[in-house]
Amino acid sequence: MRLIERIAAGDAEALGELYDRYGRVAFGVLFRMVASPEAAEEVTQDAFHSVWRQARSYRAERGSVRTWLLAICRNAAIDWRRTKGKRLERETMIDAAFDLTAEGRVDERVLARLRAERVREAIAGLPAEQRDVLGLAFWGGYSQREIAARTGTPLGTVKSRVRLAMAKLRERLAELDEDGGTRGRSPRDT
Amino acid sequence: MSDETVRMQRHPTDDLPAFALGALDAAEAREVETHVARCDTCAREVAAHREALFDVAALAATREPPAGLRTKIVLRERGARGVGTATWTTALRSLLARPVPLVVPVALVALLVIAFAVVGQTRRDADAYARALAGVAEGRVVALAATPDAPDARGALVIPPQGSPYLVLRLPAPPSGKTWEAWVLRGQAAIPAGTADANGVFTVVLSAPFAPGDGAAVSLENAPGVDKPTKVVLAVQKT
Repeated sequence: MRLIERIAAGDAEALGELYDRYGRVAFGVLFRMVASPEAAEEVTQDAFHSVWRQARSYRAERGSVRTWLLAICRNAAIDWRRTKGKRLERETMIDAAFDLTAEGRVDERVLARLRAERVREAIAGLPAEQRDVLGLAFWGGYSQREIAARTGTPLGTVKSRVRLAMAKLRERLAELDEDGGTRGRSPRDT
Repeated sequence: MSDETVRMQRHPTDDLPAFALGALDAAEAREVETHVARCDTCAREVAAHREALFDVAALAATREPPAGLRTKIVLRERGARGVGTATWTTALRSLLARPVPLVVPVALVALLVIAFAVVGQTRRDADAYARALAGVAEGRVVALAATPDAPDARGALVIPPQGSPYLVLRLPAPPSGKTWEAWVLRGQAAIPAGTADANGVFTVVLSAPFAPGDGAAVSLENAPGVDKPTKVVLAVQKT
């Protein structure tokens, strides 16, 4: 039985196994989004509780478990910030998120170092304005409209930048896969 | 041509990256979501965007999550899922709709009083157990699975960086004349590793050597000194 099916069937240890695979990424993302270890721990618990409650609604044909989990984590962080987060934390966190491309080593259990370096290069290779909208949307949880208001950029321009940034990112990651870059796990490994 | 048909025929291709990013406004997101739910082409595109974003997310995994977070996540859900909510509420509604003699509500009230007392103690034990595990500062914590013979039993194996591994257990009092016994599981062999007559939340330090990869179990025994576990209540085959 697949991991997500075991979770849907009420196997709490299977939830622990999902945490073993992706807990580090989940916590890392949430720490960046909520900007404190205590809040990140709280939101990680909330996110895995959501996984537990929603496991029956997961549809493999709509994407891998890990991207489904990531979406749940990001939504949990955005909800947390709306209800408990301080604006100041949000601003600080977004500024820090832009430093991601310059950050140090990524643990090899999560992503092979080589791939991490190449992913970082792919992001760094985006034009600055595209990288900025990507950071604001992904780490900041801002909508395109909010980004437009925040940066004083026309909404249509923001939309174009998001579209181009995602297209280039995918293109460069696809080149990386063709070159034999190591993926942490197969997208549908659970 | 209906609005629905038009919506399905017009693929929101330009909005899919922002949708995958969660950067659409709520109304836009709902519209795209409706389309994606019924369009395999767009669903595949969204899935591909999300895989790329997972690679970005993985770059953030530079910080070790707090020790004990996994245990908290697992313990929160242990035993939480019984009958589905819809079924349970439907059954309750149906039950309440039936005419009942006066003695039934009286008996229910008495039962509730007893149940609250029992639940109160169980809750206190559960809290104590969670606190015990949350207090594990260093080392690895591996949850033991409860067997059908003791579905309410809880246990975790703590493997500290130094010193002997130990079990944190939440068990009822063993029946009169019986005892709880800990075991180290190595392949097909079970090695006795200590006994306890305690109840509630308690620990048992494993008295048998424990090697990486070994499992652990707790059984109910008539007396210590048996060759193999008789009635296993908690176990993890490998660590």
